[in-house]
Amino acid sequence: MKSKIPSFLLERPSSDSFTQGSVGLKIPFIEKGIHHVANVIKTGYIQWETAARDSFFHRIDARIKVLFLIFFIVIVSLKNDILPEALIGGFIFSLMTIARLNIVGLYKRVFFLAFFFGFLVALPSAFNVITKGDIIIPVLRLSRPYRFWIYQIPGEIGITREGFYGVVMLTSRVMNSLALSFLVLYTTPFPEIIRALKVLRVPDGFLMIITLSYKYMFIFAKTVEDMHLAKKSRLAGQVNNVDARGWIAGRIAFMFKKTRLRCEEIFKAMQSRGFSDNIKIYGVGQLHASDWIAGVIFFLIGVLFLWM
Amino acid sequence: MHIPDGYLSPQTYVPFWGVSIGFWSVALKKMKKELSVKHVPYLAMAAAFSFLIMMFNVPIPGGTTGHAVGGGIIAVLLGPWTAVIAVSVSLIVQALVFGDGGITAIGANCFNMAVVIPFVSYWVFNLIRGNFTGGSRFNIAAFLSGWAGLSVASIFAGFEFGIQPLIASGADGRPLYAPYPLSVALPAMALEHMMLFSVVEGVVTLLLLKYFMKHEPELIHALKAKEA
Repeated sequence: MKSKIPSFLLERPSSDSFTQGSVGLKIPFIEKGIHHVANVIKTGYIQWETAARDSFFHRIDARIKVLFLIFFIVIVSLKNDILPEALIGGFIFSLMTIARLNIVGLYKRVFFLAFFFGFLVALPSAFNVITKGDIIIPVLRLSRPYRFWIYQIPGEIGITREGFYGVVMLTSRVMNSLALSFLVLYTTPFPEIIRALKVLRVPDGFLMIITLSYKYMFIFAKTVEDMHLAKKSRLAGQVNNVDARGWIAGRIAFMFKKTRLRCEEIFKAMQSRGFSDNIKIYGVGQLHASDWIAGVIFFLIGVLFLWM
Repeated sequence: MHIPDGYLSPQTYVPFWGVSIGFWSVALKKMKKELSVKHVPYLAMAAAFSFLIMMFNVPIPGGTTGHAVGGGIIAVLLGPWTAVIAVSVSLIVQALVFGDGGITAIGANCFNMAVVIPFVSYWVFNLIRGNFTGGSRFNIAAFLSGWAGLSVASIFAGFEFGIQPLIASGADGRPLYAPYPLSVALPAMALEHMMLFSVVEGVVTLLLLKYFMKHEPELIHALKAKEA
């Protein structure tokens, strides 16, 4: 399938202006801001496009997918052995393949986030300073053990079997949870996911707040990006930190006023469309037989994983 | 500060979901008995603004940049209960769409960032500011409100991480969730936030409040509430 994503979103911007700092390369705040915003817009755009495709998993009702997501994320959080986590990972991978998602792109993101939020954060706990146990990789030998207040440093420091197991466990759990949420997110339009939360008895008003804010986050993110680009195009040299902070404060304040103004406009638009004080979200249809079958299959597979 | 899935045990994330749902219910009731059509765009735009604050990288002394969470400034500008809903919605979207923070951990993340930060920031701002609407005391109040809000939230997050080895360990004593004990998790979370991230939060809160005081002081909820 030909990608409809504009090429500028897929290319790395060529206008990076890195400056040499005392420690290494520094990216000025404007570039950082542009990259951050561009990533947000790009993520949203790719999700909109991917969620609109057609596959077995895309056709399942959003309510079933939301329940599947919650059920499996809870299962992932309950499992304390690597084998069930690996099997769940394999199951998610096969669902992603069936859903014809961009496996490489999605897993790149999953691995990246799991590496930072799972592996790197947990890595120090692999050492016997944190997790006691049998040392499998000795790293450092001190002349004697040390004790500072409530902290103890053993004479031999190394990675323990128990600690290593814990790091692998935590990383795989983070990875599976991310893969699960991306699977559902990239196969279901976000407003449908939110509407599906009705099955969990979330009030309609709250769902509408999430849907509205989600749309405007992207609209305003584009405005923020334009502001950064406009500032960058006017800059001939470097801007000092004090001026930069002043400019940022002004832009955040401007965004605040813009959101306040837009709130009035949205209210008037809602009134003109006949919204009354009772907010109801409509358009939630009946489940088809195929949805029920998919739901039952997911439930049985989930129970199997729970039992393992 | 965004806790991912897998770090908190069900014994922790389930109660935090309950606590956050409680706060959301009270916040919505505070807005109005039943959420009316008028409040929907107001809260939605507040949530969008909460998300947007994180789009701005602020240069901080030392040569680095960082972005604020924004819970404190939103509480001062719009009131703490509005901030509860606005920051929560922003966190929910972040967890679902961008993978920032886990789905099981939404309750804990919302409690830390959408309940603790707004209330601590709001109270600290009002307490230190007194009746001053300018000058160094106002500036100190503005900075400390952002700084204290995030610092206290980081202490809560550190505590949530730190109790995991105590409440969820395997038969062999191996921690099943966040592996760091309280003696490590609490100081690690608190110190790194107090010395870096909370400073960014404080700087952003100060810059924005100074800007609003100069140009549009009538938009600051904390000032109006005190006068009322």
